[in-house]
Amino acid sequence: MSLLRSPSSEPLWKEEFSVFTADERYVTRRQFVKFLSLASVGMFVGNLWILAKAYFAKPPTYPASAIAEVGEIPVKGVKLFSYPGPDDRCIVVRTSEEEYVAYSQKCTHLSCAVYYSAKNDRLECPCHQGFFSIKDGSVLQGPPPRSLPKIVLQTAGGKLVATGVEVSENG
Amino acid sequence: MHGYEFYVDPSRCIGCQSCVKACEECETHRGKSMINFDFIDRSGTTATAAYVCWHCEEPTCAMACPADAIKKGEDGVVQSSLKPRCIGCSNCVLACPFGIPKVFPELEQMMKCDMCYDRTSIGKRPMCATVCPSQALSYVRPENITRRREKPTNVFYFGKQKIVTRVHMMVPETSDSVSLDVLDYMWEESDVAFAQPQ
Amino acid sequence: MAKPDFTTQRRGLVAIDGAMALVIILLVVQIWLLSAALEGFLAGHHRVALPAAIFSGLLLACCLGLNAFVDRVDRESRKE
Repeated sequence: MSLLRSPSSEPLWKEEFSVFTADERYVTRRQFVKFLSLASVGMFVGNLWILAKAYFAKPPTYPASAIAEVGEIPVKGVKLFSYPGPDDRCIVVRTSEEEYVAYSQKCTHLSCAVYYSAKNDRLECPCHQGFFSIKDGSVLQGPPPRSLPKIVLQTAGGKLVATGVEVSENG
Repeated sequence: MHGYEFYVDPSRCIGCQSCVKACEECETHRGKSMINFDFIDRSGTTATAAYVCWHCEEPTCAMACPADAIKKGEDGVVQSSLKPRCIGCSNCVLACPFGIPKVFPELEQMMKCDMCYDRTSIGKRPMCATVCPSQALSYVRPENITRRREKPTNVFYFGKQKIVTRVHMMVPETSDSVSLDVLDYMWEESDVAFAQPQ
Repeated sequence: MAKPDFTTQRRGLVAIDGAMALVIILLVVQIWLLSAALEGFLAGHHRVALPAAIFSGLLLACCLGLNAFVDRVDRESRKE
């Protein structure tokens, strides 16, 4: 505390327990402002922590994982799978004869599972009526703040292979 | 406060003890007077003196209190000890150069004059100054006190300690300050100057 | 030790009250900044971390400056 205290002739105990009521009020306020400054320091440290994590974050590596056979899914049909880990639920939709799109199933609002609505040709979240575009996973309507992470698909040897996750920079 | 100052003139005191009785009537300390009434030399003279708390700028009693029970407010009045804090240790009694605080052992509490704060804070005069028939204790505006022959002073010397008070004492025109140390009146003048801080 | 002058003390207290109110406002802004930076980072926008940290540092500097101001007013009121 001696670092935060400007030099004075009086010992600290005399200042903190002053016989003058006017000074007592000063002491209470001074202590409060000191506490607020400490809180400010704490939050700055929090921001530095985030900065450190961002700086030292490794780009994530994704293993290639076969998720379905080509032709297994009918047109406008869906299949649920897990990628990259067993708890990361995803959904793949065959939008046409040749095209498949896959997204993370966790709604970016409060992580409810989204489903594909063939009638409206979009991904819908039943919890709060959040709708995502089937083309790129962007938010069409509702409370979700960000677009759905897109799963990168490739075909190899008659199988659909998931090779990565794309998170868009803009919400 | 409110433009008034307290003046004590012991030479005017006639010993009627009206101040003592008036002070006793206060509800907060009924029966116990906060006036320090002094029979100066009872066998030798009828002269008396009545004193109130001098409400020093830097109250020695407050600074000596181990329980932080004595506080001086923004308006300069040194309050009596705070009831929850006072432990009746008599440190203030020993510390005060004027001998004002009184400890009441049955209450384990120190009580002293607070210049009738309930009255002076709203512009009234303290009880003692109101009832004193000779105005030995008076609470008047500074311009009114200049009519007297004596002049007021609020600087006291207690050994090497210089005390500046809120309450004024009437002294002869030639004096500037009052020395509380008996020895200061027994030494030669040159030695008195040496004893006091410059 | 202080020889408190009523008016000067009052003015000092008003100044300190003002500084305290300012500090609280800055703190609220800093809280929001921290939460926004965290949310952005978790969403994958790693580029927000640096500007957020810089602005948080600026807010901290302002808070410390106001703290020093409060200390100075306090010292001056005692000296008089």
